[in-house]
Amino acid sequence: MVPLENYLVLSAILFALGVYGVLSRRNAVLVLMSVELMLNAVSLNFVAFAAHLDPDRATGIVFAVFVIAVAAAEVGLALAIVIRLFRNRSSANVDEAATLRW
Amino acid sequence: MITEVLWWIVAAGVVGASAGVVLSRSVVHAAIFLILSLAGVGAIYLFLTVEFIALVQFLIYGGAVTVLILLALMLTRMGASGRPEPLTGAQAPFGALVAAALMATLIGVAVATAWPGDLGGSPTAISIERIGAALFQNYGAPFIIMAALLLVAFVGAIVIARQEDGD
Repeated sequence: MVPLENYLVLSAILFALGVYGVLSRRNAVLVLMSVELMLNAVSLNFVAFAAHLDPDRATGIVFAVFVIAVAAAEVGLALAIVIRLFRNRSSANVDEAATLRW
Repeated sequence: MITEVLWWIVAAGVVGASAGVVLSRSVVHAAIFLILSLAGVGAIYLFLTVEFIALVQFLIYGGAVTVLILLALMLTRMGASGRPEPLTGAQAPFGALVAAALMATLIGVAVATAWPGDLGGSPTAISIERIGAALFQNYGAPFIIMAALLLVAFVGAIVIARQEDGD
């Protein structure tokens, strides 16, 4: 059997990799992909806690479902913004989108 | 025993694929690594005996979200100069420092804490019936709000990405 700590450590590694991607990448789509990694790490944590500590109420499972739904909404909206940005600036580089109005 | 070996193989694959997402020099390779990583996390859910979340993970993340990301990559591939732009900024070493500090902290907390109710055993199977009851009875109102949020977000996405006349 695999103890709870294994899942938590795996989730911590995934989250840290996502943080590194968000901080270091310049392409907006790659930043989004790193955010997806972080969200996945969080929902893995929720599900691991639910399965190990709170199987009767399944609260963590519901949280994971909500995280997945919000992530889908976020990625759809953010990619629309990236496409709009690319149309206006011919670049998906987040460093160039430093002003809200031009 | 075989479960543990399989778990370590899948976990190593997930970590490797995730590293590929943040380190890859090609955006398309990064997207492929992302599919692998998300599917691997779905497999980890199977070890936790929550098949429902694993299925949702495969369908929504492995299917829909990655297709959306790949389409956006195709639409925003080239810069104005016609050649690919550098993908990683000069701030990368500082990002690595912050991420390493965060990872050390999180792992330290995860290992050192005595989680209440943790018997050290294998996870208890959570049936789909129980998930459905929790989702539609205990958390019915948030579920409806979530549906409204999804609808609003996608209508907003259409409005933002729409090609306007004379724009």
